[in-house]
Amino acid sequence: MIDSILNIIEPAQLAFPEPVEASIIAPYLFVSAAMFAIGLIGFLTRKNMIIMFLCTELMFQAAGLALIAFGRHHLGADGQTFVIFVLCVAAAEAAMALALVVLLFRHRESLGASAWKELNG
Amino acid sequence: MGDLVVRIVDEEHASLGIGLGHNTRFGPVRRVCSKRFSPDFGNERDTVEQIIDPIALYLICGLGAAGIALALPRRDREGGRTMTIVGGLLLAAAFGLGALLLGLKAGETESPLPNYFFYPFAAIGLGGALRMITHKRPVYSALYFIMTIIASCGMYLLLSAEFMAFALVIIYAGAILITYLFVIMLATQAPTGDKDELLDEVDAEAREPYLASAIGFVLIGLLTAAMFRGIGDLPEPTESMTLAQAEDAVLVNLPKKIDKILDRNDLLPDGWRVARDPETGKAMLDVDARTITIELVDGKDSHGHANVLATRVLTSEDWPADLSANNLDRLGYNLLNDHPMMIEVAGIILLMAMLGATVLARKHVELEEDLKAAQARKLGAYMGDEQGGAA
Repeated sequence: MIDSILNIIEPAQLAFPEPVEASIIAPYLFVSAAMFAIGLIGFLTRKNMIIMFLCTELMFQAAGLALIAFGRHHLGADGQTFVIFVLCVAAAEAAMALALVVLLFRHRESLGASAWKELNG
Repeated sequence: MGDLVVRIVDEEHASLGIGLGHNTRFGPVRRVCSKRFSPDFGNERDTVEQIIDPIALYLICGLGAAGIALALPRRDREGGRTMTIVGGLLLAAAFGLGALLLGLKAGETESPLPNYFFYPFAAIGLGGALRMITHKRPVYSALYFIMTIIASCGMYLLLSAEFMAFALVIIYAGAILITYLFVIMLATQAPTGDKDELLDEVDAEAREPYLASAIGFVLIGLLTAAMFRGIGDLPEPTESMTLAQAEDAVLVNLPKKIDKILDRNDLLPDGWRVARDPETGKAMLDVDARTITIELVDGKDSHGHANVLATRVLTSEDWPADLSANNLDRLGYNLLNDHPMMIEVAGIILLMAMLGATVLARKHVELEEDLKAAQARKLGAYMGDEQGGAA
């Protein structure tokens, strides 16, 4: 039965990019993937808007770790350069998001995302 | 043209066919890929090693999903605290199993595994991230996120990205997270002390914890299975360079830095400097052979090129010990030479964010009366409880 499951998984895996042929960075990529998924879970489950934005920061962090790991594998500086831009976007996002959160909080006295559930297109 | 397209499609089908034809786990797929990548892999590469067996990996992901679903915040009357502890134990078991499998693998093969420092950093980083999304109090969440950031700085150091590690501490932990903490403290509804039952409904409960954990861990499982489906020997990265050689390669682009270092080591007589390539302006030094060409210049000729009177070659014995490029040299050169446009774009993004934040936060909002009353009631409940407890 296990073999049949693996046979189903195999074509699914073919759709992914080429395998990373470096066991040195694979564990870092695993940590990065786990961090990203934790951020995603937090974003989906938590109701507090500040925590939701913190979770997006966690996802940025995971992306940065993957960039640095791949950059190390290729011995280039591009990965690190892009982390600078990830930091820049994270800072801009934090400023905007927190200004919005403060504004929304002043309107409803609540940080819950569900306080604004009547906002629908 | 059409013929070419058809052939490409056929080849893809063929490789898919090979991959499906064999049933030895993910071996054949890997072989196809490695053939496509580097043709000189011989037939001895048919046996494939994996870091973690896929079944074990999916088991770890399942454990983690169950753990995180239990650990997400819920009301205490539903046994919230016990569930959190059980969830934490499950998560710890998942992480321990993963580390154990990696360790066993390290024992039985020669395949390179990360430095021992990697494991504590990964544990602290992931633990901080988990605690961040499961903690009921936003301030603690932010503090746990700082812990995660510092742990990932450790991993950056292990990956020899020193500058980014320090920049991360300064920018993330020092600036962004402090802003978050300020906003959390400004926008807290009412003091709750140690009493969880007074916590706002927003913080005390998670929305759809089981569904979200399942989605998240399916994501982890797929991503990591794709990563771990097979590893071979580490192919020599770009043209068998080491990291130090790759870093020194940037030196030819930094002639003034070389001038300064040579001058500091008393290797340059008056008027001499490192020879520049007249077309590209790059320094003429051979990083591999460790030789430096220096030239005596006097003024400029009619084309604006330097007037070279004499040249000399410094051999590898003269190569100064401190003549090497570091991470910062490379990063700065890469940033300013290869991505100058991105700096402009980043500047615009930051300016717009600053303007937008100022405009948004300036707006004055009048509270409605019933909201004010609700807030006052909450505060009153807290104060009343506190006095009751003291008496």
